Amino acid sequence: MKNEWMYRVAGNLRIRIVGKGLERLLNEFTRRGIYVWNVRREDENSLTCYMFLRDIHHVRVAMRKSGCKLYVLERRGAPFWLKTSWKNSGIVVGLVAFMCVVFLLSNMIWRIEVTGANPEVEHTVRQQLKKIGVERGALQFVIPTPEAIQRTLMNNMDTITWIGVEWRGTTLYCQVVEKKKPTQTKANAPQHLVAKKKAIITYMFVEQGQAVVEVNDHVVPGQLLVSGFIGKEGQTEIVPARGQILGETWYKSTVAVPLKTTFYMLTGKKRETHYVRFWSWKVPVFWNHKEPFSQFEKQVDEKTFRFLTWTLPIRYEKVVWREKEVAVREYSYEQAKTAAKQIAREQLKRQLPADAIIQGEKVLHETKENGKVKVEMHYQVIENIATPQPIIQGD
Amino acid sequence: MIGKWKNNMRQWLTNQMELPADVVADLPRITMIGHIHIYIENHRGLLLFTDRELRLLLKNGQLLVKGESFSIKTILPEEILLEGKISQVLYLEE
Repeated sequence: MKNEWMYRVAGNLRIRIVGKGLERLLNEFTRRGIYVWNVRREDENSLTCYMFLRDIHHVRVAMRKSGCKLYVLERRGAPFWLKTSWKNSGIVVGLVAFMCVVFLLSNMIWRIEVTGANPEVEHTVRQQLKKIGVERGALQFVIPTPEAIQRTLMNNMDTITWIGVEWRGTTLYCQVVEKKKPTQTKANAPQHLVAKKKAIITYMFVEQGQAVVEVNDHVVPGQLLVSGFIGKEGQTEIVPARGQILGETWYKSTVAVPLKTTFYMLTGKKRETHYVRFWSWKVPVFWNHKEPFSQFEKQVDEKTFRFLTWTLPIRYEKVVWREKEVAVREYSYEQAKTAAKQIAREQLKRQLPADAIIQGEKVLHETKENGKVKVEMHYQVIENIATPQPIIQGD
Repeated sequence: MIGKWKNNMRQWLTNQMELPADVVADLPRITMIGHIHIYIENHRGLLLFTDRELRLLLKNGQLLVKGESFSIKTILPEEILLEGKISQVLYLEE
Protein backbone atom coordinates (compact mmCIF):
# COMPACT_ATOMS: atom_id res chain seq x y z
CA MET A 1 0.00 0.00 0.00
CA LYS A 2 0.97 3.60 0.05
CA ASN A 3 3.61 4.34 2.57
CA GLU A 4 4.29 7.31 4.75
CA TRP A 5 7.02 8.58 2.46
CA MET A 6 4.59 8.94 -0.37
CA TYR A 7 2.16 10.87 1.77
CA ARG A 8 4.92 13.29 2.58
CA VAL A 9 6.00 13.91 -0.98
CA ALA A 10 2.50 14.33 -2.34
CA GLY A 11 1.42 16.67 0.41
CA ASN A 12 -1.53 15.93 2.61
CA LEU A 13 -4.07 17.68 4.71
CA ARG A 14 -5.67 16.96 8.01
CA ILE A 15 -9.25 18.06 7.75
CA ARG A 16 -12.34 18.25 9.91
CA ILE A 17 -15.74 17.72 8.40
CA VAL A 18 -18.71 19.03 10.32
CA GLY A 19 -22.29 18.26 9.45
CA LYS A 20 -24.86 15.53 9.21
CA GLY A 21 -24.62 12.31 7.24
CA LEU A 22 -20.89 11.88 7.55
CA GLU A 23 -21.05 8.16 6.74
CA ARG A 24 -22.81 8.94 3.51
CA LEU A 25 -20.11 11.40 2.70
CA LEU A 26 -17.39 8.83 3.31
CA ASN A 27 -19.18 6.41 0.98
CA GLU A 28 -19.36 9.18 -1.58
CA PHE A 29 -15.61 9.74 -1.26
CA THR A 30 -14.80 6.11 -1.84
CA ARG A 31 -17.11 6.00 -4.81
CA ARG A 32 -15.30 8.95 -6.36
CA GLY A 33 -11.92 7.42 -5.66
CA ILE A 34 -10.91 9.96 -3.05
CA TYR A 35 -8.53 8.32 -0.70
CA VAL A 36 -8.85 9.23 2.99
CA TRP A 37 -7.18 7.68 5.98
CA ASN A 38 -7.04 7.83 9.76
CA VAL A 39 -10.69 8.70 9.97
CA ARG A 40 -11.69 9.45 13.54
CA ARG A 41 -15.06 10.39 14.85
CA GLU A 42 -14.93 13.39 17.15
CA ASP A 43 -18.54 13.69 18.08
CA GLU A 44 -21.90 13.13 16.48
CA ASN A 45 -21.48 15.84 13.90
CA SER A 46 -17.80 15.92 13.15
CA LEU A 47 -14.91 13.73 12.14
CA THR A 48 -11.28 14.28 11.26
CA CYS A 49 -9.28 12.53 8.62
CA TYR A 50 -6.32 12.89 6.31
CA MET A 51 -6.41 13.33 2.58
CA PHE A 52 -4.14 14.14 -0.29
CA LEU A 53 -3.70 17.71 -1.29
CA ARG A 54 -4.36 16.86 -4.94
CA ASP A 55 -7.86 15.55 -4.05
CA ILE A 56 -9.03 18.75 -2.45
CA HIS A 57 -10.92 19.84 -5.53
CA HIS A 58 -12.78 16.52 -5.80
CA VAL A 59 -13.58 16.68 -2.11
CA ARG A 60 -15.21 20.04 -2.53
CA VAL A 61 -17.24 18.74 -5.46
CA ALA A 62 -18.27 15.63 -3.50
CA MET A 63 -19.34 17.74 -0.54
CA ARG A 64 -21.39 20.19 -2.52
CA LYS A 65 -24.78 18.65 -1.79
CA SER A 66 -24.08 17.15 1.61
CA GLY A 67 -24.43 20.38 3.57
CA CYS A 68 -21.25 19.62 5.52
CA LYS A 69 -18.44 22.04 6.14
CA LEU A 70 -14.76 21.35 5.72
CA TYR A 71 -11.99 22.84 7.84
CA VAL A 72 -8.32 22.34 7.14
CA LEU A 73 -6.49 21.65 10.39
CA GLU A 74 -3.00 20.88 9.25
CA ARG A 75 -0.94 21.04 6.10
CA ARG A 76 1.93 18.61 5.71
CA GLY A 77 4.32 17.38 3.04
CA ALA A 78 6.69 18.64 0.42
CA PRO A 79 4.52 21.23 -1.34
CA PHE A 80 3.89 23.09 1.91
CA TRP A 81 7.45 22.66 2.99
CA LEU A 82 8.62 24.17 -0.28
CA LYS A 83 6.24 27.04 0.15
CA THR A 84 7.51 27.87 3.63
CA SER A 85 11.11 27.47 2.51
CA TRP A 86 10.45 29.89 -0.28
CA LYS A 87 9.10 32.32 2.28
CA ASN A 88 12.16 31.84 4.47
CA SER A 89 14.59 31.82 1.59
CA GLY A 90 15.45 35.46 2.15
CA ILE A 91 17.16 34.58 5.40
CA VAL A 92 19.03 31.71 3.79
CA VAL A 93 20.15 33.84 0.88
CA GLY A 94 21.25 36.54 3.27
CA LEU A 95 23.16 34.05 5.36
CA VAL A 96 24.90 32.58 2.34
CA ALA A 97 25.75 36.03 1.04
CA PHE A 98 27.11 36.96 4.43
CA MET A 99 29.26 33.85 4.52
CA CYS A 100 30.54 34.63 1.04
CA VAL A 101 31.44 38.15 2.04
CA VAL A 102 33.20 36.99 5.19
CA PHE A 103 35.00 34.34 3.15
CA LEU A 104 36.18 36.88 0.60
CA LEU A 105 37.25 39.33 3.27
CA SER A 106 39.10 36.57 5.10
CA ASN A 107 41.11 35.87 1.98
CA MET A 108 42.07 39.43 1.26
CA ILE A 109 45.27 41.23 1.99
CA TRP A 110 44.62 43.78 4.64
CA ARG A 111 48.10 44.82 5.51
CA ILE A 112 51.52 44.66 4.00
CA GLU A 113 54.21 44.95 6.60
CA VAL A 114 57.70 45.74 5.44
CA THR A 115 60.40 45.46 8.06
CA GLY A 116 64.12 45.97 7.95
CA ALA A 117 64.10 48.58 5.22
CA ASN A 118 64.55 52.29 5.29
CA PRO A 119 61.61 54.35 4.02
CA GLU A 120 63.04 54.67 0.55
CA VAL A 121 63.59 50.97 0.05
CA GLU A 122 60.26 50.25 1.66
CA HIS A 123 58.57 52.49 -0.84
CA THR A 124 60.17 50.69 -3.77
CA VAL A 125 59.29 47.34 -2.25
CA ARG A 126 55.67 48.41 -2.00
CA GLN A 127 55.69 49.69 -5.54
CA GLN A 128 57.15 46.46 -6.82
CA LEU A 129 54.52 44.54 -4.92
CA LYS A 130 51.81 46.68 -6.44
CA LYS A 131 53.16 46.03 -9.89
CA ILE A 132 52.62 42.30 -9.49
CA GLY A 133 49.18 42.90 -8.04
CA VAL A 134 49.96 42.55 -4.38
CA GLU A 135 48.21 45.37 -2.62
CA ARG A 136 45.58 45.93 -0.01
CA GLY A 137 42.28 44.43 -1.09
CA ALA A 138 43.79 41.86 -3.42
CA LEU A 139 42.51 38.35 -3.04
CA GLN A 140 45.02 35.88 -1.79
CA PHE A 141 44.22 33.19 -4.28
CA VAL A 142 44.74 35.50 -7.22
CA ILE A 143 48.20 36.73 -6.34
CA PRO A 144 51.34 34.63 -6.70
CA THR A 145 52.71 32.47 -3.93
CA PRO A 146 55.08 33.99 -1.36
CA GLU A 147 57.97 32.15 -2.97
CA ALA A 148 57.16 33.65 -6.34
CA ILE A 149 56.82 37.14 -4.84
CA GLN A 150 60.13 36.65 -3.14
CA ARG A 151 61.80 35.62 -6.36
CA THR A 152 60.34 38.49 -8.36
CA LEU A 153 61.32 41.09 -5.82
CA MET A 154 64.84 39.79 -5.46
CA ASN A 155 65.29 39.76 -9.21
CA ASN A 156 63.83 43.19 -9.77
CA MET A 157 65.46 45.13 -6.98
CA ASP A 158 69.15 45.66 -6.69
CA THR A 159 68.98 47.55 -3.43
CA ILE A 160 68.10 44.51 -1.42
CA THR A 161 70.14 41.45 -0.68
CA TRP A 162 67.33 39.26 0.42
CA ILE A 163 63.64 39.46 1.09
CA GLY A 164 61.52 37.04 3.04
CA VAL A 165 57.82 36.98 2.27
CA GLU A 166 55.38 35.27 4.54
CA TRP A 167 51.67 35.08 5.05
CA ARG A 168 50.23 35.43 8.46
CA GLY A 169 46.48 35.64 8.35
CA THR A 170 45.53 38.60 6.25
CA THR A 171 48.89 40.28 6.60
CA LEU A 172 51.82 39.89 4.27
CA TYR A 173 55.10 40.25 6.06
CA CYS A 174 58.14 41.25 4.06
CA GLN A 175 61.43 41.02 5.83
CA VAL A 176 64.00 42.98 3.91
CA VAL A 177 67.75 42.80 4.18
CA GLU A 178 69.21 45.83 2.51
CA LYS A 179 72.38 45.77 0.58
CA LYS A 180 75.10 47.47 2.56
CA LYS A 181 77.05 49.87 0.46
CA PRO A 182 80.70 49.70 1.31
CA THR A 183 81.41 52.52 3.68
CA GLN A 184 83.75 55.00 2.16
CA THR A 185 86.96 55.17 4.07
CA LYS A 186 87.41 58.55 5.43
CA ALA A 187 89.65 60.31 3.02
CA ASN A 188 91.48 62.24 5.61
CA ALA A 189 92.39 59.42 7.92
CA PRO A 190 96.11 58.86 7.52
CA GLN A 191 96.86 55.70 5.61
CA HIS A 192 99.36 53.79 3.56
CA LEU A 193 98.66 51.87 0.44
CA VAL A 194 99.92 48.30 0.51
CA ALA A 195 99.81 45.47 -1.99
CA LYS A 196 97.14 42.84 -1.57
CA LYS A 197 98.54 40.37 -4.05
CA LYS A 198 101.74 39.18 -5.57
CA ALA A 199 102.13 41.24 -8.72
CA ILE A 200 104.33 43.21 -11.06
CA ILE A 201 103.42 46.85 -11.13
CA THR A 202 102.43 48.07 -14.55
CA TYR A 203 101.01 51.50 -13.85
CA MET A 204 101.17 53.93 -10.99
CA PHE A 205 99.31 57.09 -10.34
CA VAL A 206 99.85 58.57 -6.95
CA GLU A 207 97.48 61.32 -5.90
CA GLN A 208 98.89 61.82 -2.50
CA GLY A 209 101.71 60.23 -0.61
CA GLN A 210 105.19 59.04 -1.27
CA ALA A 211 105.62 56.23 -3.80
CA VAL A 212 107.94 53.55 -2.49
CA VAL A 213 107.92 51.21 -5.48
CA GLU A 214 108.23 51.74 -9.21
CA VAL A 215 106.70 50.37 -12.34
CA ASN A 216 107.97 46.86 -13.14
CA ASP A 217 108.74 46.19 -9.50
CA HIS A 218 107.70 42.85 -8.14
CA VAL A 219 105.68 43.14 -4.99
CA VAL A 220 104.44 40.65 -2.44
CA PRO A 221 101.23 40.86 -0.39
CA GLY A 222 101.48 43.41 2.38
CA GLN A 223 104.34 45.27 0.81
CA LEU A 224 104.19 49.03 1.17
CA LEU A 225 103.40 50.73 -2.11
CA VAL A 226 102.66 54.30 -1.27
CA SER A 227 103.66 55.69 2.08
CA GLY A 228 101.57 58.11 4.04
CA PHE A 229 104.65 59.84 5.39
CA ILE A 230 105.78 62.71 3.24
CA GLY A 231 108.36 65.43 3.53
CA LYS A 232 111.96 65.52 4.48
CA GLU A 233 113.26 63.60 7.33
CA GLY A 234 112.70 65.35 10.54
CA GLN A 235 109.71 67.30 9.28
CA THR A 236 107.53 64.45 8.09
CA GLU A 237 103.82 64.89 7.65
CA ILE A 238 101.29 62.15 7.80
CA VAL A 239 98.76 62.13 4.97
CA PRO A 240 96.24 59.69 3.63
CA ALA A 241 97.98 58.05 0.71
CA ARG A 242 95.80 57.80 -2.36
CA GLY A 243 96.31 56.63 -5.87
CA GLN A 244 95.82 53.90 -8.40
CA ILE A 245 98.36 51.15 -8.56
CA LEU A 246 97.73 48.58 -11.25
CA GLY A 247 99.67 45.39 -11.30
CA GLU A 248 99.91 42.28 -13.34
CA THR A 249 98.71 39.29 -11.38
CA TRP A 250 98.53 35.65 -12.28
CA TYR A 251 95.83 33.12 -11.93
CA LYS A 252 95.82 29.44 -12.61
CA SER A 253 92.77 27.37 -13.04
CA THR A 254 91.98 23.85 -14.04
CA VAL A 255 88.78 22.86 -15.76
CA ALA A 256 87.69 19.44 -16.76
CA VAL A 257 85.03 19.03 -19.43
CA PRO A 258 83.56 15.62 -20.19
CA LEU A 259 83.39 14.76 -23.87
CA LYS A 260 80.01 13.19 -23.47
CA THR A 261 77.42 14.74 -21.20
CA THR A 262 73.98 13.47 -20.45
CA PHE A 263 71.49 15.96 -19.16
CA TYR A 264 67.81 16.57 -19.05
CA MET A 265 66.07 19.09 -21.17
CA LEU A 266 62.50 20.26 -20.85
CA THR A 267 60.65 19.76 -24.06
CA GLY A 268 58.11 22.48 -23.35
CA LYS A 269 55.25 20.03 -23.27
CA LYS A 270 53.32 20.02 -20.08
CA ARG A 271 50.13 18.74 -18.63
CA GLU A 272 48.23 20.12 -15.71
CA THR A 273 45.74 18.77 -13.28
CA HIS A 274 43.73 20.95 -10.99
CA TYR A 275 42.63 19.34 -7.81
CA VAL A 276 40.31 20.34 -5.04
CA ARG A 277 41.44 18.79 -1.82
CA PHE A 278 38.98 17.92 0.89
CA TRP A 279 40.95 16.92 3.94
CA SER A 280 43.14 14.19 2.58
CA TRP A 281 41.30 13.25 -0.57
CA LYS A 282 42.00 14.89 -3.81
CA VAL A 283 39.32 15.38 -6.40
CA PRO A 284 40.57 16.26 -9.85
CA VAL A 285 38.35 18.94 -11.34
CA PHE A 286 40.12 19.80 -14.52
CA TRP A 287 42.88 18.14 -16.45
CA ASN A 288 44.35 18.05 -19.91
CA HIS A 289 45.96 14.66 -19.82
CA LYS A 290 46.71 12.75 -22.87
CA GLU A 291 49.20 10.18 -21.80
CA PRO A 292 51.64 10.45 -18.94
CA PHE A 293 55.17 11.44 -19.73
CA SER A 294 57.88 8.91 -19.13
CA GLN A 295 60.17 11.52 -17.66
CA PHE A 296 58.99 14.69 -16.10
CA GLU A 297 59.45 17.42 -13.56
CA LYS A 298 56.58 17.75 -11.16
CA GLN A 299 55.53 21.05 -9.70
CA VAL A 300 52.83 21.43 -7.11
CA ASP A 301 51.11 24.71 -6.34
CA GLU A 302 48.78 24.84 -3.43
CA LYS A 303 46.33 27.51 -2.41
CA THR A 304 44.59 27.48 0.92
CA PHE A 305 41.43 29.25 1.85
CA ARG A 306 40.72 30.90 5.09
CA PHE A 307 37.55 31.64 6.92
CA LEU A 308 38.00 34.22 9.63
CA THR A 309 40.90 32.80 11.59
CA TRP A 310 40.60 29.22 10.43
CA THR A 311 42.22 27.64 7.48
CA LEU A 312 39.63 25.64 5.65
CA PRO A 313 40.34 21.97 4.99
CA ILE A 314 39.39 22.62 1.39
CA ARG A 315 42.35 23.44 -0.73
CA TYR A 316 43.09 24.03 -4.34
CA GLU A 317 46.05 22.29 -5.82
CA LYS A 318 47.59 22.61 -9.22
CA VAL A 319 50.03 19.99 -10.36
CA VAL A 320 52.06 20.58 -13.47
CA TRP A 321 54.10 17.88 -15.12
CA ARG A 322 56.68 19.10 -17.54
CA GLU A 323 58.08 16.58 -19.91
CA LYS A 324 61.83 16.25 -19.99
CA GLU A 325 64.05 14.52 -22.34
CA VAL A 326 67.49 13.06 -22.11
CA ALA A 327 69.88 14.97 -24.27
CA VAL A 328 73.38 13.77 -24.98
CA ARG A 329 75.97 16.32 -25.85
CA GLU A 330 79.14 15.12 -27.47
CA TYR A 331 82.16 17.29 -27.93
CA SER A 332 85.10 16.69 -30.19
CA TYR A 333 88.43 17.19 -28.53
CA GLU A 334 88.77 20.71 -29.91
CA GLN A 335 85.26 21.70 -28.93
CA ALA A 336 85.81 20.42 -25.43
CA LYS A 337 88.96 22.44 -25.18
CA THR A 338 87.22 25.60 -26.31
CA ALA A 339 84.40 24.98 -23.87
CA ALA A 340 86.85 24.40 -21.05
CA LYS A 341 88.64 27.62 -21.84
CA GLN A 342 85.41 29.52 -21.86
CA ILE A 343 84.33 28.04 -18.57
CA ALA A 344 87.66 28.85 -17.00
CA ARG A 345 87.49 32.42 -18.21
CA GLU A 346 83.98 32.86 -16.88
CA GLN A 347 84.95 31.40 -13.56
CA LEU A 348 87.86 33.80 -13.32
CA LYS A 349 85.77 36.81 -14.29
CA ARG A 350 83.36 36.02 -11.58
CA GLN A 351 86.00 36.16 -8.92
CA LEU A 352 87.74 39.30 -10.21
CA PRO A 353 86.59 42.84 -9.51
CA ALA A 354 84.72 44.51 -12.32
CA ASP A 355 87.53 46.80 -13.40
CA ALA A 356 90.11 44.07 -13.83
CA ILE A 357 91.26 43.22 -17.34
CA ILE A 358 92.32 39.79 -18.48
CA GLN A 359 95.34 40.52 -20.52
CA GLY A 360 96.45 37.17 -21.65
CA GLU A 361 95.77 33.51 -21.32
CA LYS A 362 97.88 30.49 -21.93
CA VAL A 363 97.19 26.81 -21.91
CA LEU A 364 99.64 25.25 -19.59
CA HIS A 365 98.64 21.71 -19.88
CA GLU A 366 95.93 19.66 -21.49
CA THR A 367 95.12 16.01 -21.08
CA LYS A 368 92.45 13.62 -22.10
CA GLU A 369 91.60 11.02 -19.56
CA ASN A 370 88.53 9.00 -18.61
CA GLY A 371 86.54 10.66 -21.36
CA LYS A 372 87.30 14.11 -20.01
CA VAL A 373 89.40 16.89 -21.33
CA LYS A 374 91.32 18.55 -18.58
CA VAL A 375 92.77 21.96 -19.33
CA GLU A 376 95.03 23.92 -17.08
CA MET A 377 95.01 27.61 -17.83
CA HIS A 378 97.16 30.47 -16.87
CA TYR A 379 95.91 34.03 -16.94
CA GLN A 380 97.58 37.37 -16.76
CA VAL A 381 95.33 39.97 -15.25
CA ILE A 382 95.78 43.68 -14.78
CA GLU A 383 94.02 44.83 -11.65
CA ASN A 384 94.19 47.29 -8.84
CA ILE A 385 96.45 45.81 -6.23
CA ALA A 386 96.52 48.65 -3.73
CA THR A 387 94.58 48.45 -0.51
CA PRO A 388 94.55 51.08 2.19
CA GLN A 389 96.19 50.43 5.51
CA PRO A 390 95.46 52.93 8.23
CA ILE A 391 98.38 54.46 10.06
CA ILE A 392 97.85 54.02 13.71
CA GLN A 393 99.63 56.74 15.52
CA GLY A 394 101.02 55.94 18.87
CA ASP A 395 100.52 58.49 21.58
CA MET B 1 -37.45 -20.15 -6.21
CA ILE B 2 -34.67 -19.17 -8.64
CA GLY B 3 -32.77 -17.39 -5.85
CA LYS B 4 -32.83 -20.48 -3.71
CA TRP B 5 -31.72 -22.65 -6.60
CA LYS B 6 -28.83 -20.22 -7.28
CA ASN B 7 -27.75 -20.38 -3.68
CA ASN B 8 -27.77 -24.18 -3.72
CA MET B 9 -25.76 -24.11 -6.90
CA ARG B 10 -23.17 -21.88 -5.33
CA GLN B 11 -22.89 -24.02 -2.28
CA TRP B 12 -22.45 -27.08 -4.42
CA LEU B 13 -19.74 -25.36 -6.46
CA THR B 14 -17.87 -24.30 -3.39
CA ASN B 15 -17.93 -27.77 -2.00
CA GLN B 16 -17.06 -29.51 -5.21
CA MET B 17 -14.37 -27.24 -6.57
CA GLU B 18 -12.80 -26.24 -3.32
CA LEU B 19 -13.09 -22.56 -4.17
CA PRO B 20 -12.98 -20.01 -1.38
CA ALA B 21 -16.47 -19.15 -0.28
CA ASP B 22 -16.00 -15.36 -0.55
CA VAL B 23 -15.09 -15.58 -4.21
CA VAL B 24 -17.98 -17.71 -5.20
CA ALA B 25 -20.67 -16.55 -2.83
CA ASP B 26 -19.84 -12.84 -2.71
CA LEU B 27 -19.46 -12.97 1.03
CA PRO B 28 -17.36 -10.58 3.06
CA ARG B 29 -13.87 -11.74 4.03
CA ILE B 30 -12.97 -10.54 7.48
CA THR B 31 -9.47 -10.63 8.79
CA MET B 32 -8.71 -9.76 12.39
CA ILE B 33 -5.38 -9.21 13.97
CA GLY B 34 -5.89 -9.76 17.66
CA HIS B 35 -8.40 -7.23 18.77
CA ILE B 36 -6.62 -4.23 17.37
CA HIS B 37 -7.20 -4.52 13.62
CA ILE B 38 -10.11 -5.68 11.58
CA TYR B 39 -9.98 -5.81 7.84
CA ILE B 40 -13.20 -6.30 5.96
CA GLU B 41 -13.33 -6.95 2.25
CA ASN B 42 -16.43 -7.04 0.09
CA HIS B 43 -18.59 -4.66 2.05
CA ARG B 44 -21.25 -2.55 0.45
CA GLY B 45 -20.83 0.76 2.19
CA LEU B 46 -20.55 2.46 5.51
CA LEU B 47 -23.69 2.86 7.53
CA LEU B 48 -22.47 4.16 10.85
CA PHE B 49 -19.15 5.11 12.23
CA THR B 50 -18.43 6.37 15.72
CA ASP B 51 -15.47 5.76 17.96
CA ARG B 52 -17.24 2.81 19.63
CA GLU B 53 -19.20 1.38 16.74
CA LEU B 54 -18.91 0.56 13.07
CA ARG B 55 -21.81 -0.61 10.98
CA LEU B 56 -21.24 -1.88 7.48
CA LEU B 57 -23.70 -2.85 4.81
CA LEU B 58 -23.16 -6.30 3.38
CA LYS B 59 -24.81 -8.11 0.53
CA ASN B 60 -27.02 -9.91 2.98
CA GLY B 61 -27.50 -8.04 6.14
CA GLN B 62 -25.12 -5.90 8.12
CA LEU B 63 -21.90 -6.25 10.07
CA LEU B 64 -21.61 -4.56 13.43
CA VAL B 65 -18.24 -4.04 15.09
CA LYS B 66 -18.14 -2.78 18.65
CA GLY B 67 -15.24 -1.62 20.72
CA GLU B 68 -13.36 1.51 21.74
CA SER B 69 -11.39 4.33 20.14
CA PHE B 70 -12.02 3.34 16.56
CA SER B 71 -10.41 4.95 13.63
CA ILE B 72 -10.62 4.02 9.97
CA LYS B 73 -7.12 3.50 8.69
CA THR B 74 -8.17 2.95 5.13
CA ILE B 75 -11.45 3.06 3.33
CA LEU B 76 -11.87 1.93 -0.24
CA PRO B 77 -15.06 1.06 -2.17
CA GLU B 78 -14.99 -2.59 -1.07
CA GLU B 79 -12.41 -2.66 1.68
CA ILE B 80 -12.09 -1.12 5.08
CA LEU B 81 -9.39 -1.35 7.68
CA LEU B 82 -10.42 -0.43 11.18
CA GLU B 83 -8.12 0.14 14.08
CA GLY B 84 -9.04 0.27 17.74
CA LYS B 85 -9.92 -1.99 20.60
CA ILE B 86 -12.44 -4.42 19.20
CA SER B 87 -14.69 -6.29 21.59
CA GLN B 88 -17.48 -7.69 19.42
CA VAL B 89 -18.18 -8.52 15.83
CA LEU B 90 -21.84 -9.16 15.13
CA TYR B 91 -23.78 -10.28 12.07
CA LEU B 92 -27.17 -8.76 11.70
CA GLU B 93 -29.43 -10.73 9.40
CA GLU B 94 -32.08 -8.86 7.49
